[in-house]
Amino acid sequence: MSNSLLLGPIFIPLGGAALGILLARNRTYQQIIGLICGVLAWVCSVAVLLANLSEGIFTYNLGGWVPPYGIVLVADLLASIFAVMATTVMAAGILYVLGCRDKSVSAPAFMPLFLCMAAGLNGALYTGDIFTMFVFIELMVIASVILVAISDNRLGMEAAIKYLFISAMGTLFLLTGIAALYASFGTLNMADIARLLASGERPVLAQAAAVMLMCAFLLKSAVFPFHFWQPDFHTTAPTPVGAMLSSIIVKAGVYGLIRMTTLMFTAEAPLIHDLLVVLGLIGIFFGSLGALRTYDAKRLLAYSTFGQIGFILVGIGWGSPATLAAAIIYAVNHSFIKSSLLMLTGTISSRTSAKTSRLSEIGGVGNTLGFTSGLYFLGGLALAGVPPLNGFISKVTLIQSGIGLEEWLTVGLVVGAGVITLMYMTRTWQLIFRQERAETVQLKPRGDSVLAPALLIGLCLVLGLFASPLIQVALRAVEQMGDPSLYIRAVLGG
Amino acid sequence: MNTLFALATGLMFGMGIFQLLRRDLIKSAMGFYILFTSINFLFLAVGAYDGVIAPYVDANNQTSSQPSDPLVQALILTAIVISFGSYALLLGLIAVSSRRFRTLDSDRIDQLKG
Repeated sequence: MSNSLLLGPIFIPLGGAALGILLARNRTYQQIIGLICGVLAWVCSVAVLLANLSEGIFTYNLGGWVPPYGIVLVADLLASIFAVMATTVMAAGILYVLGCRDKSVSAPAFMPLFLCMAAGLNGALYTGDIFTMFVFIELMVIASVILVAISDNRLGMEAAIKYLFISAMGTLFLLTGIAALYASFGTLNMADIARLLASGERPVLAQAAAVMLMCAFLLKSAVFPFHFWQPDFHTTAPTPVGAMLSSIIVKAGVYGLIRMTTLMFTAEAPLIHDLLVVLGLIGIFFGSLGALRTYDAKRLLAYSTFGQIGFILVGIGWGSPATLAAAIIYAVNHSFIKSSLLMLTGTISSRTSAKTSRLSEIGGVGNTLGFTSGLYFLGGLALAGVPPLNGFISKVTLIQSGIGLEEWLTVGLVVGAGVITLMYMTRTWQLIFRQERAETVQLKPRGDSVLAPALLIGLCLVLGLFASPLIQVALRAVEQMGDPSLYIRAVLGG
Repeated sequence: MNTLFALATGLMFGMGIFQLLRRDLIKSAMGFYILFTSINFLFLAVGAYDGVIAPYVDANNQTSSQPSDPLVQALILTAIVISFGSYALLLGLIAVSSRRFRTLDSDRIDQLKG
């Protein structure tokens, strides 16, 4: 197994984007290239995960420069799991784009930007160098801002400006943190920083850097004090883009937090963990209650993402190996559920002439769509954590690991919030699919294709019925993370 | 020299934050760019690794015999390119939205409500 396989998930989409720009005049070729790149990137990331399982951590030195001097790509199990999740949802998103009838999708820059977003996310996951992570995150942010700005929804422009300012704040935090780390250690390689921190060296600036990086990652995944941009930005995006933003792009911040607490700042981790539990609980309740009172189907799902990220943060914050594994499982399962639900909402709203997702106008639109209704129902149950779907597995592993720690208060709150999820999902399903349609609403004969969400819901069902492989892999990933010296040795050698 | 550097960085940071919080979107965008420049200053200061003198001159303001750290300058170049790109994108978005909303006042661009 060649290490250069690691280049695939990053550079295949990037190459596809370049090719897509050259073929800007021909939309069909562009979309075919997009689909091929998405599938190839998925194949590469799965191959990387399999190689990881059999051979442990492996690295690729870009340009042949030896770390810590050069830029290094590292595939450990954590990065590989997140990358498989990202490429799976991205491939499904590209499939959705092929069957999408939005105007924005036919813009010549749409597919290249979509692929840039994928490349940025995969790069941020695989890189072992913190400055390169910043570059990839910026690639992702800029691509997503443009995609939201050209949305069919006229308010996309406003949300894009808002988000660009807010993400600039995140970038500022990240860059200041990187500068502080460089001032303290003179290196940007995460393994090298971890080695120096573990050797007992604790410059004053290192703790400031920890705070800065944490703020940046919390902002990227829209956690409580930095959350206000998220519902606007995710709601106004074109459906396939919104599905990506709300499922996998927010996971980049979660990945950063896990990486930070398990690799670099292990000494500060207990303090960070306590903070994450509190922020996660606030997110769970804010998000769930916000979802209950909103009147727009997409906005409801965006609020729900805010709540579900809270569950993941609580899992990270409890801090034991079992809860960390539960957080990883939760992150993966949530990506599949949320992206499929957003795509299904998109197919429903594409049936109406106004292409809106306000519940008052799409109420009853799904009346005659039996298949879509069934898929949405399954997705809603999965989000609420009802067996036999994958949402149940993630909730059960999380709550079980919490009970193992005897954190009764937080476990109680988490279970209570799970009930709210069931309330808002069944309410929405009733409103869209079960009530009588208003006479005034004219339906289009054809909407967006439901192939992509159907595949994702199928995946949810499979992951719910055969959950043990994912749990095993997550446990092995946590085992690997529990010993940072493995990562450090794999990158730096010796 | 170091004091001057710290003062300049701090001043630019303050100016950037002040401009960013203005209501006029163009002024906010300028604040955005000033902030990124101040971070570039911070990176440049970080390059003086021993923290005693600035990287490119010695204590007597002569060209230093000690080479400065080249990595931070590469980082600054990257950061400049990225911040320039974001700034251009931001100005483009503001141009389009000012035509659509007929205003540059960020308080009056408030149609997003849930």
